[in-house]
Amino acid sequence: MRLLLVEDHVPLADELLAGLTRQGYAVDWLADGRDAAYQGATEPYDLIILDLGLPGKPGLQVLQEWRAGGLATPVLILTARSSWAERIEGLKAGADDYLSKPFHPEELQLRVQSLLRRARGLANQPQLEAAGLQLDESRQTVKRQDEEVQLTAAEFRLLRYFMLHAGQLLSKSHLAEHLYDGESERDSNVIEVHVNHLRRKLGREIIETRRGQGYRFSGDAA
Amino acid sequence: MRSIQRRLSLGLISVLLIIGLLLAQSSLWLFDRSLRSYLQTTLQDETQTLLGAVVRGPNGLQLDERRLSAAFKRPYSGLYFRIDLAAQSWRSRSLWDREMQPAERAGLQSALSDGPQGQQWLVYRADYQRYGQPIVIHVARDYTPMLNSFRQVQKIVLGLGVAALVLILLLQRLIVGRALRPLEQTRQQIMQLQQGQRTQLDQHVPQELESLVAQINHLLTHTEDTLKRSRNALGNLGHALKTPLAVLVSLASREELKQLPQLRESLNGQLQQIEQRIARELGRARLAGEALPGAHFDCASELPELFATLAMIHGNHLQMDWQAEPGLRLPWDREDLLELLGNLLDNACKWADSQVQLHISRQAGGYQLLIEDDGPGIAATQRDEVLSRGSRLDEQVAGHGLGLGIVRDIVEAWAGQLRLDESPLGGLRVTLVLPGKRT
Repeated sequence: MRLLLVEDHVPLADELLAGLTRQGYAVDWLADGRDAAYQGATEPYDLIILDLGLPGKPGLQVLQEWRAGGLATPVLILTARSSWAERIEGLKAGADDYLSKPFHPEELQLRVQSLLRRARGLANQPQLEAAGLQLDESRQTVKRQDEEVQLTAAEFRLLRYFMLHAGQLLSKSHLAEHLYDGESERDSNVIEVHVNHLRRKLGREIIETRRGQGYRFSGDAA
Repeated sequence: MRSIQRRLSLGLISVLLIIGLLLAQSSLWLFDRSLRSYLQTTLQDETQTLLGAVVRGPNGLQLDERRLSAAFKRPYSGLYFRIDLAAQSWRSRSLWDREMQPAERAGLQSALSDGPQGQQWLVYRADYQRYGQPIVIHVARDYTPMLNSFRQVQKIVLGLGVAALVLILLLQRLIVGRALRPLEQTRQQIMQLQQGQRTQLDQHVPQELESLVAQINHLLTHTEDTLKRSRNALGNLGHALKTPLAVLVSLASREELKQLPQLRESLNGQLQQIEQRIARELGRARLAGEALPGAHFDCASELPELFATLAMIHGNHLQMDWQAEPGLRLPWDREDLLELLGNLLDNACKWADSQVQLHISRQAGGYQLLIEDDGPGIAATQRDEVLSRGSRLDEQVAGHGLGLGIVRDIVEAWAGQLRLDESPLGGLRVTLVLPGKRT
């Protein structure tokens, strides 16, 4: 899962970056509204966390520009302006959720999780489930027929992406784009290694390889 | 204050009455005078005729009856004479048994003297010298027909005057009404302003009202601008305070601190207090309250957006409805009302199983807002406690109450009432009774 964090307050951004990275998200961070307006529209993010009080360009305007440009990525607004009138403004501009400052880091993580699931049409599940697997996102473990399987951080990230896109054909480059932030080096061999690890832990049939096309996580399309 | 219309009417009536009476009376007086002076010449002629009738006869001076006009012979005819010679005195037959009192000086007498049968005499005395002796001739004429006709004229004039007064008053009402129509229009616009049906007064008014209307409009925009500015400043302040607070909250939940649960707990507690205090005070400072007379909340345009926002926050499993009569506008600031309804509905959504309803209706002297849900509700014994909770800031408990703090602030600012009871849906029903604005 690749996230864009747009927040101009550096200490808060640092905190959020650290927290989100611990949660296994690949996060790009921007502090300026103009940069965000451009990068948010060009890079394939799965979710954007947007502060409203931004230098360069106000957050609401950035959001309006994205939506006007047809960007469908879920956007979570993060703001100190918490009045209902402002919330309505934000959601009218095209936000998908609204979190007012100050907030608990867990609260943000929950909102991010539920937004990502909602964007995949899996609204009311407390846990991510696909192909007989249950993913515990807070503990980064997966349960398979009452048997708990430990995962490394990289495996967890990959599995979560697969489970959110069950039944879809995903190319290696697509996976690399969504699993690593803009600054990491993307090596598709690494993905192959992790896919093999997951197969070893959860069974061969769980991820199907299509020659020249990519991978497909088995199980019902959600 | 009395109405301008009434003042003008009273003033006009008194002025018209005084002038009308003066004018009528003085014209009667003038007419009376000119009539008397005309009669004076005829009476003078009469005396000369009478003088001519005094002739020297066999027994000294005598009156030639043939020369006298018939009116002097008919009793109480209205024309009388008395001729005083040195030794004797004659009087007209028309006097019958009545004596005519001699006047003191020559010429027309200014006072009328009493005659028979209620007659009022105009008396003229002429002094002559003839046949070597003074001859004093009094001639009197009945003046009552004239007086009667004067009285009649007076009555007619009075009647005409009253009619004219009524007519003038009616016209005046009409004219003043027309002239004051812009004032009345402005008054109605101010009422509309207070009911939130307009935000500015119409600038097309007569010159006299222009500066007043312009000043009111200026004040309105100024208040609105000030409110907007201060809300913006509060927003910035909130941003400046809450962002570092978010950092602190995040820092306080770090792994390292999990080893020191007491420190962590006390940090979190203090941070929560700061957060609540900021939220409550900023929320309170944002309230427009009664500051903006032109403020209004258009149910049909605002509520769908609010409900869409709530649906987005709480997911789509809730069935949320609102009812308000078409075109209903509440006379309060939009942001205040959004804050009020947002908080109450947000709570309802948190607790509801499947249904949340908002019902807004106009009532005698105000509005009633009902917010209902089908959740677990609040036991009757605990309702008072929930309402009073958070009445003092340091008593507030985040996430446990109904978040009623700001709601109560708003309701208080509007002098409204807040009640909790059981909804027919099964859950809690919040009833808000808000008095309409004084006009």
